[in-house]
Amino acid sequence: MPYDVTFTRLETQALFDLKGRREAVQEWAGEALPACPDQPNSKTEAGGATLMFIGPDHWLLRADLAREAALEATLRPAEAPPEMSIVRVSDTLAFFRVIGPEASEILAIACPMDLHESRFGPDTASFTEAFGIKALVTRCEGGFEVGVEQSFGPMMLDCLTRASC
Amino acid sequence: MMQIPCPFCGPRNESEFFYGGPVRPSRPDPAAVNDEDWTAWLTQVPNPLGPVQEHWWHARGCGTWLTIWRDTRTHDVVEAPDDAG
Repeated sequence: MPYDVTFTRLETQALFDLKGRREAVQEWAGEALPACPDQPNSKTEAGGATLMFIGPDHWLLRADLAREAALEATLRPAEAPPEMSIVRVSDTLAFFRVIGPEASEILAIACPMDLHESRFGPDTASFTEAFGIKALVTRCEGGFEVGVEQSFGPMMLDCLTRASC
Repeated sequence: MMQIPCPFCGPRNESEFFYGGPVRPSRPDPAAVNDEDWTAWLTQVPNPLGPVQEHWWHARGCGTWLTIWRDTRTHDVVEAPDDAG
């Protein structure tokens, strides 16, 4: 019996990879960013942008593609101080939205991490694996969003299709 | 399947990690050791029956390199990184 779930591939998202100490990131780009999340693998949202704390001194900024040019003009990656780096990586990840009453069942097949709401709440974002490949998993309204390397997009679509049958 | 304690992410499934090999003793000065010890350092990999100190890379997670003590008999992580969650 098929799972009650819907999945769609999202448009390319504006993504900026930021590395550096929290203080350096806030000093350089604080006005352009949501507040830096405090907890590892958590996210904050403001003004349509999401800032994810994905590793030690490592952050990922996500927004709609329409905002990419404006964000780049604000973040000025080429002029960033030497103690941090900002790289536009919008082309690297393909995002899929998996929603529906049984979205967590599909993610349970795909991902070894405990995604129960008590452990993986709405403010959580983490790199883990999905169907054996590195994936950025976040919660969204009614389900989850999964980001994988662009070249794995067709494979992810195939895996989601097979898992939901 | 092992659960490996990552200092940044907390306990995660082994499949998110890549094995980085055992922690080896420091490289000796080849001019100060005899041939037997030098050859041993070059060719012998620690492989005890019991706890062994190993490097692991959280490649599919936060990217952290970490060092754990793993018991080769049970795969239990007997000593985690100091700041593991």
